[in-house]
Amino acid sequence: QGKNTKYSVLLLALLTLNTIYMVQADSPNPAPDMSSLFSTSLMSSFPEDLEISGYCKELLFFFKQRYVTFVDCLILAARPVKVCQNCSSSYSRLQDIYRNISDQVGPGNESCRDSLLSSDRLMVVYQLYSNLQDLWTSSNCESNLTNDTLNFLSTLNQTLTCFEKYQLGNHTELCKSCKKMYGDVNKLYGRMEKNDTMCIDLEDAMNMTRRLWSKNFNCSLPRDETVPVLAVSSFMLFLPVIFYLSSFLHSEQKKRKLIHRSLLDRYSIKAAGDGIFSVR
Amino acid sequence: MANITKKVSWSSRPDETGATGETTPLLNGSEQPRHSRQVELMSGEGAIFHIGRHGAGDLEEEMTTEEVKSEGRPKEIPHNEKLLSLKFESLDYDNIENQLFLDEERRMSYMGFRCLEISRWVICALIGFLTGLIACFIDIVVEQVAKVKYNVIKENIETFTEAGGLSISLILWAVLNCSFVIVGAILVAFFEPIAAGSGIPQIKCYLNGVKIPRVVRLKTLVVKVCGVICSVVGGLAVGKEGPMIHSGGVVAAGVSQGRSTSLKRDFKIFEYFRRDTEKRDFVSAGAAAGVSAAFGAPVGGVLFSLEEGASFWNQMLTWRIFFASMISTFTLNFVLSVYHKKPGELSNPGLINFGRFESDVGDFFTSIFHSSTVLQAELLLCLMSAVLFCRYVHRPCLQVMEATLVAAVTAAVSFTMIYFSNDCQPLAPDNTEVYQLQLFCADGEYNSMATAFFNTPEKSVTSLFHDQPGTYNPLTLGLFTLTYFFLACWTYGLAVSAGVFIPSLLIGAAWGRLCGILLFWCSTWADPGKYALIGAAAQLGGIVRMTLSLTVILVEATGNVTYGLPIMLVLMTSKIVGDYFQEGLYDIHIKLQSVPFLHWEAPATSHWLTAREVMSSPVTCLNKIEKVGTIVDILSNTSTNHNGFPVVVQVMEGDVVILCGLILRSQLIVLLKHKVFVELARSRLTQRKLLLKDFRDAYPRFPPIQSIHVSQDERECMMDLTEFMNPTPYTVPQETSLPRVFKLFRALGLRHLVVVDDENRVVGLVSRKDLARYHLGKHGLEELHLAQT
Repeated sequence: QGKNTKYSVLLLALLTLNTIYMVQADSPNPAPDMSSLFSTSLMSSFPEDLEISGYCKELLFFFKQRYVTFVDCLILAARPVKVCQNCSSSYSRLQDIYRNISDQVGPGNESCRDSLLSSDRLMVVYQLYSNLQDLWTSSNCESNLTNDTLNFLSTLNQTLTCFEKYQLGNHTELCKSCKKMYGDVNKLYGRMEKNDTMCIDLEDAMNMTRRLWSKNFNCSLPRDETVPVLAVSSFMLFLPVIFYLSSFLHSEQKKRKLIHRSLLDRYSIKAAGDGIFSVR
Repeated sequence: MANITKKVSWSSRPDETGATGETTPLLNGSEQPRHSRQVELMSGEGAIFHIGRHGAGDLEEEMTTEEVKSEGRPKEIPHNEKLLSLKFESLDYDNIENQLFLDEERRMSYMGFRCLEISRWVICALIGFLTGLIACFIDIVVEQVAKVKYNVIKENIETFTEAGGLSISLILWAVLNCSFVIVGAILVAFFEPIAAGSGIPQIKCYLNGVKIPRVVRLKTLVVKVCGVICSVVGGLAVGKEGPMIHSGGVVAAGVSQGRSTSLKRDFKIFEYFRRDTEKRDFVSAGAAAGVSAAFGAPVGGVLFSLEEGASFWNQMLTWRIFFASMISTFTLNFVLSVYHKKPGELSNPGLINFGRFESDVGDFFTSIFHSSTVLQAELLLCLMSAVLFCRYVHRPCLQVMEATLVAAVTAAVSFTMIYFSNDCQPLAPDNTEVYQLQLFCADGEYNSMATAFFNTPEKSVTSLFHDQPGTYNPLTLGLFTLTYFFLACWTYGLAVSAGVFIPSLLIGAAWGRLCGILLFWCSTWADPGKYALIGAAAQLGGIVRMTLSLTVILVEATGNVTYGLPIMLVLMTSKIVGDYFQEGLYDIHIKLQSVPFLHWEAPATSHWLTAREVMSSPVTCLNKIEKVGTIVDILSNTSTNHNGFPVVVQVMEGDVVILCGLILRSQLIVLLKHKVFVELARSRLTQRKLLLKDFRDAYPRFPPIQSIHVSQDERECMMDLTEFMNPTPYTVPQETSLPRVFKLFRALGLRHLVVVDDENRVVGLVSRKDLARYHLGKHGLEELHLAQT
């Protein structure tokens, strides 16, 4: 399917080039007509070389179309997240047209890069595109599809069916019967997560499943080992008490031998022989 | 050391003197020389000038017998903080300007001095580089080993959470912790006890001028580094930052000497620096490099060594120290960036990274509110020091056992806390560096108590600073603070090498974050992470009581100058509050070790004390031309382990002897070893003249007098000290006040100060211990006791 889209994009691009060429051949300078629509706000038109060419204008138009399509798709797939699944193709189309603008050269070695992307402070096209690009990167949709992913999807679906099956009845029964399946999914997910980054769709699906499992159905592990844990740790806490008691009883503190030499003593010496020095 | 005359009869307890053999080595027949000296004294041969403050000889006799009667045996008291130990010696920071020195200086060309200056810079660069590398080594090893340990435990816990049997994971955790700690404790307790603790008090003493035995040896460094790695990986409540300062000091002392006595390698370089004066300068550079590698704070490092060590400001020295610390932090940063596979992205200036803080005007106000809460943290500090006092554990095996038990208890307590914690938080997207435990939390969530306990302390500090508001719930933080506080107190007294910076930062951060969260409920604009920072600063300041340097260190570690004022205010508050209750931890430590430490100022109310009262007398003096036998006897007299001997000369009129110089024990030993006797010099004209190099080669481990063999014939020879003694020692008149003497000592780094009368006759000798004895207690001026340890 990916190849197909690529072909269609190529075709489209070719078509675009053709039309543009024709437009240029017909009227070498269609710019004044277009700008006259806005003449109420911006009175005069600019000299020829500062205006954008028809080719570029055409590119801009296609960019707008694809941009809108992509944003449409994104918003519809926002919750629950199905961005990667639904919008990959429209994103790649948007990417192509942007690449056309930024990298490729049109007829007569004409490039729209400067005129469309960076001729003013606002750089609307560039900013819009780079915003979406960031969004797309953080969604991690580019992470490659592997056997694991397919496997994961099928197991996840099975688990969800299982959930649905037991949903109405007692939750303990659900916990018991779906436990194995859920555990498999969890394990698989953990393994995939460790290997590389996951795409947002899978991440979200897993998150929802986990929440269902632990919050809605209350299947989290119970805390049932309190007694042994307490016993072991209190045993460890008890050891130092014995240790300190025994070392307190069996050894005494180091004694220090004082060397007696306080002021008072020396005063008495001084009183005994004040100021007389002799050599013996 | 001082010429302290002991008026105590040592012979009454021969068995006790045996116990002190390590510090004051005894002769084979310790009784004998003492006896002979006594005889000499009695017969009054005139070989030794025994100058006392009292007129007649019989008077002294009377006094001595009286004292012997009254005391009988040395008084014994339990060890406390109000003692001064005799085992510590001073360093010789005063340059000995004897004839040899002058000769050497004359011989040295202008180029020679330039080369010396350049080699000082080279040494500083080396110090910085090696210190940085050591820091990297510690960091990388700790990270790798901790990773293995935590992953093993984590996997174990995960399997047992499902299958049951969590008590087994608890035991596994405890056993892993214990095995690391045992290794560390064995290294410290059996191989190098001086490497215990952070080493900052020891370096502080060294820079102050007290020679702590074995503190700057290579072996100490190795034990220290391995010990730190073991105790941090062993999960004790300790950090690896404090020991960096000690390590830096050791590196400096080693590099600057150009040789290692432990490895018996002499590279024949930097021989000029084999003196206490030069070595101290380099050690202060090393300490600065250590601080800067630990916190990524080069300026803080310089200020640290100025605040703690230097007695005066030397511009060139400071500039060199700064160079060393810059090199150190850069080396660490660069090597770590290569290690993290991002060469050139220098984002790890120190062992601990506080991460980036955004500046916000609100902090100024909130922090000031906060400092009032610091009061409570300080109260707890008193408890911490109380734990220090009651230590009954002295034997190495017991120390190892104690450390092991603490490790086990730490694991048990942490596990129990994590087990019973109900505080679950959703997984953050990119917290891959922190080990998270799920335990009984819902899938996709983790136990937030585990982030605090189940991580190396550095990582816990960073998460406390930077995690989103709402990551921790107040109960978790409160319990964590309390538990960790007791653990840290308990751990501090252990015989493992570890620092107290990180535990106190962690306690403070948890405490501060708690306050922040409580305030957050009332007002919405308080960021708990910033409170954590302020709390950490307060707690650390309360424990170590450093002022300027700590402020700069913290500001540099946060990388935001805007925080300077809040941090400073908080540190001021915590210092004021803390000083009201108790001294700083390092000062307590120094006091407990009975080190004669000289503070910045003499005690305030001591002007009425004069040198006459402070000095030790009588003084053992030597003649300018002295009999070898006499010198050997004096040196080998164990009861008066003196180090400096005033040299006197008899003037024409006969009886009057005046001071003409001062000679050190180490010099005398070198002279005896080379047999520089007048008679020999006459008979062998070709004999090489002794150079200053010979003294340097013997430095710093001068052989004990017992190892020097002097034959019976040689004992009758004479020795001419004129060339070797310091001809112009510092002297003071008897009426000089204590603060004046103190100032001389502190500023010049003196070891001996001769007290003379108006005719230049030796009256007494003031040494470091005589000054350090006086301190301002609760009831005015107090005098510490001198004690044998």
